[in-house]
Amino acid sequence: MKLRVVHTTQYRYGAPVTLCHNEAHLIPRSTPRQRCLEGRVETEPIPSRYRERTDYFGNPLVYFAIHDPHDVLRVTATAVVEVDPIDSADHGKSPPWEQVATGFTKGTTLLEAQELVLDSPLVALHAELVSFAKPSFPPGRPLLEAVSDLNRRIHEELSYAPRSTNISTPLSVVLRERRGVCQDFAHLAIGCLRSFGLPARYVSGYVESEPPPGRSRIDGADASHAWFSVFDPAAGWVDFDPTNDQLVSDRHVTTAWGRDYSDVTPLKGIFFGGGSHTLDVSVDVSRVEGQCGVNG
Amino acid sequence: MPDAADSSPSDVARLFDAYRPVASSYDEMCASDGVVRPHWEYLVCSLAELGTEELDRRVAETRRIAFENGVTYNVHSQSVSLPRPWLLDPIPLLLTSDEWHRIEQGLVQRAEVLELLLADLYGPRRLLRDGIVPPALILSHPGFLRPCHDVINDRRRPLVLYAADLARTPDGEMHVVGDRTQAPSGSGYALENRLILSRIFPSLYRDSHVHRLALYFRALRLTLQSLAPPGQTNPHVAVLTSGPASETYFEHAYLADYLGYTLVEGGDLVVRDDRVWLKALDGLKPVDVLLRRVDDVFCDPLELRGDSLLGTPGLLHAIRSGTIGIANPVGASVLENNGLMAFLPQVCRALLEEDLELPSTQTWWCGDDASRAYVVEHLEELVIKPIHPHPSSSILFAARMTSAQREELVARIAAQPHLYVAQQQLSLSTVPVVHQGRLEARPMMLRTYLAANTDGFTVMPGGLVRVAPAPDAPLVSNQLGGLSKDLWVLASEPERQVTLLATESQPVGVIRAEDGVPARVADDLFWLGRYASRTESCARLLREVLLRLLGNERIPSDDGLVLLLHAVAVQTHTLSAEGTSPAVDRAENEILRLLTDETQIGSLRFNIQALARAGGAVRDRLSADAWRTIQSIERTVAPPLHLSRAVEVLQRTVLQLSAFTGLCHEGMSRGPGWYFLEIGRRLEHGMQSAVLLRLLFVDGFAHGNRQLWEALLAAALSLKTFRRRYRSRLPPGAVLDLLLLDTSNPRSLAFQLVQLESLVMSLSGDSEAHRGAESRLALEALTRMRLFDTDKLDAVYDPSTAESLEELLLDIHRLLSRLSDEITRHYFHLTDTPQQLVRYQ
Repeated sequence: MKLRVVHTTQYRYGAPVTLCHNEAHLIPRSTPRQRCLEGRVETEPIPSRYRERTDYFGNPLVYFAIHDPHDVLRVTATAVVEVDPIDSADHGKSPPWEQVATGFTKGTTLLEAQELVLDSPLVALHAELVSFAKPSFPPGRPLLEAVSDLNRRIHEELSYAPRSTNISTPLSVVLRERRGVCQDFAHLAIGCLRSFGLPARYVSGYVESEPPPGRSRIDGADASHAWFSVFDPAAGWVDFDPTNDQLVSDRHVTTAWGRDYSDVTPLKGIFFGGGSHTLDVSVDVSRVEGQCGVNG
Repeated sequence: MPDAADSSPSDVARLFDAYRPVASSYDEMCASDGVVRPHWEYLVCSLAELGTEELDRRVAETRRIAFENGVTYNVHSQSVSLPRPWLLDPIPLLLTSDEWHRIEQGLVQRAEVLELLLADLYGPRRLLRDGIVPPALILSHPGFLRPCHDVINDRRRPLVLYAADLARTPDGEMHVVGDRTQAPSGSGYALENRLILSRIFPSLYRDSHVHRLALYFRALRLTLQSLAPPGQTNPHVAVLTSGPASETYFEHAYLADYLGYTLVEGGDLVVRDDRVWLKALDGLKPVDVLLRRVDDVFCDPLELRGDSLLGTPGLLHAIRSGTIGIANPVGASVLENNGLMAFLPQVCRALLEEDLELPSTQTWWCGDDASRAYVVEHLEELVIKPIHPHPSSSILFAARMTSAQREELVARIAAQPHLYVAQQQLSLSTVPVVHQGRLEARPMMLRTYLAANTDGFTVMPGGLVRVAPAPDAPLVSNQLGGLSKDLWVLASEPERQVTLLATESQPVGVIRAEDGVPARVADDLFWLGRYASRTESCARLLREVLLRLLGNERIPSDDGLVLLLHAVAVQTHTLSAEGTSPAVDRAENEILRLLTDETQIGSLRFNIQALARAGGAVRDRLSADAWRTIQSIERTVAPPLHLSRAVEVLQRTVLQLSAFTGLCHEGMSRGPGWYFLEIGRRLEHGMQSAVLLRLLFVDGFAHGNRQLWEALLAAALSLKTFRRRYRSRLPPGAVLDLLLLDTSNPRSLAFQLVQLESLVMSLSGDSEAHRGAESRLALEALTRMRLFDTDKLDAVYDPSTAESLEELLLDIHRLLSRLSDEITRHYFHLTDTPQQLVRYQ
């Protein structure tokens, strides 16, 4: 399926900004399951400097700077991505989770997996994570079955509450209050998996805004979305969306992945002047004409 | 020694009778049989000849010179950071050339290994993939900065600076106990130690044939120059400091001065058009190379720690763009990993196909199951450290723990074993220090310094020796209050004299005297001038009031005293809410409080601290004497202070402030920096005078109190002049003329305005025909004064005189205050602090 993403971020400043430097993880990466056919970041005012590069995790990263005074910064990311449908994997066939936890560390070829089992800036080992995850991980349970169960429990036991948290809300608070947004749910799942020694990464992206006929609207569609991915030595990386209790489908567009949100922040920046500022975000993900109904 | 006192055997005995090296450790001076090692003999004989009294004098002399040179080390305690005088023991550590040569080779090899390792970690990461270094050891280390992965790996010289901490084991072997790679500190202190010792022991130093340090700094300078982007023949190099609050700020300023570089803070720099610029007063000046003394994670709030105010947003982008060289590269702290020591021998074989020459202290990385089992079993013999040697992370001595604490530690290690290492407890070698006129054996560590050169590394033939604060102290650290020493590597034959000032083999071009004054520095100098002047006005007024209160001078009528106290309250911002000043009967205590209460805005102590802060921020721009004077002023007015000493203290403060003014006047070149200091001073003086004249003179008319004028004259320093001119008469018109209009009196208001106008003109480069906003304001104030009708002075008791005088003084105050705003707006606007964009989820 072909999806078009238009992601607009607008900052309005109380006083003119004389200079700003920004980094954007807004251009979708290509993955084995998706091809980014078109991706660009445009800003208003026009950037004085603009450069694209690939970050440590292989994600496209845009740097731009604006040297002219401005009161409003508008960043528009536009992308067209072709996403393959997923094979509905038989979770029961994956290896027992303990085998994965101890197995992959023996071989040193999978540096990436080794990295994603360690603490990261926003996801640190915590006893509460273990006790939350435990019921999903009885001995010998196939990995993907266990993760699928964890995914379901996060969806059921925590409520999706936009604006209830922000990026500095610690996981322990999310767990205690049993609510959060998609970033928190992804972090929670990642923390649970890593505390059992399982490699998990954070995926930032989008889901289709308008549901196909007969299907319900998805939470997290009006902003950038996030979910997680677990490493199965046999199947590779398998994505789960705890916000919607489902496997990631061809309605999901992956933008970037990393250890957690801090590695793939969609847009960050430092500016001079400006006073206080306000933020408006809008995201639109729609099917590109002629592709409708492929998976409907 | 020609300068030695007569010695006798008893002197030698007295000097050495307390020297008791511990049998279980190595002593640098004495062999195990107690006999002095051959390379120490000459020094020992010389010390004995000096005698204990003379030795004590030399100790005092080292302290004095260090203090005079302003050598300090900032010690952080709770929220305040106090500059502490640098403590240097006069006895150097001696090493023979032969031994040093072996150490040197080992250090160079280690630097080469670390450099290759650094390039690999931020590049192909082959060592991690091949399992030579366990991935978890690196990937969990906070110094591994993912945004730097494409910054370091394509650099010609990934590692420019390297420092190693060495310790000698009981069997006499030198071991590396710590690697410093992000911004190694101490080489400036080592240089300063050397300069002091060569002054304290001139002939001993000369006759000992000590290797010189200058070659190291020369190599460093050439290498830094070579880091500049291609085509820059005379690159602008700056030392990036984290500012006066940094522990080693003295050294940042000292090295910048010694190497001839601009000292800048992160906020003085800005990234535009993919390159780094200095926000100088006259606009942006390109910077080509940074010698960095700011920790990695603070260097760029855009890509690293977003809350850092020490860095420069976009710096990594500029580095990536290849427009700036930086030493050491951002990301180099990944090598400051205690766990690496366990793997360095394998790394050395993998990268250089050689055996590691200089061993590390024995280290077990707990991320390895077998090592962890060993550690848990031998916990009591070991020291436990985190892999990341962060200042806040403690080093744990299991032997001193209770069993419950040990269990807790074992559990913590078990939860995240890859974050911990264990090391053998060090049994440091001992070295003599002078303690109460005798020698005492104290544990020591040695920090050595390397700088990259064209084909390898140059080792500083010396170093910084750090000595434990007590004979049985387990740790050696400057932060914990240790003592330092120089290291003398004794040449087998006399060395040629090399200094940085000598001509270099490669011409480096003329070093520009002024590479641009950062706008922040101008801002601080401006406020330094203002606070110096404000402090002086405050001290003078308090002195006059106190003298009158204590009856040393003619006592004015109560009305007059009330007025004086009112002036004090206005000047110190201590008027009560109802606008009343303190009652006369409580005045003494109130004055005392206004001297010493630093929490009271406007108090003398408050102003002095503001003065010291502004001075500290621009310390490298002041002469050592000027800075020292500020420090003595701070000490002069330190509480507790008794009333009986108050006048004397104020007297001294006024004198010291005059000395400071004189030192700035004589010791600073007339660049933009001096102009800002001077403008600040004149502006503040003008504002203070306008307030005082209005309060005392104008209100004095109303109260018909002439004695006030005398106080005013005294406070304004013109009493002598006045008496010389008018004997004992006090014609009010004349008083006013002298204080207000007389441009030959350097303390008159008119004098300040004349000076200010010409200073502002020179600074802005304005001409009579073309004036900017500041010089227009300065001219307006001066003209307002000049147009004042002097005839009025003959009729001072006329109420209309008081009225027009009051109007004049209010106008001038207002104009000066606008001038200050205008200067701030024009010159210091570049000192905006950056903000982070709010992020969302």
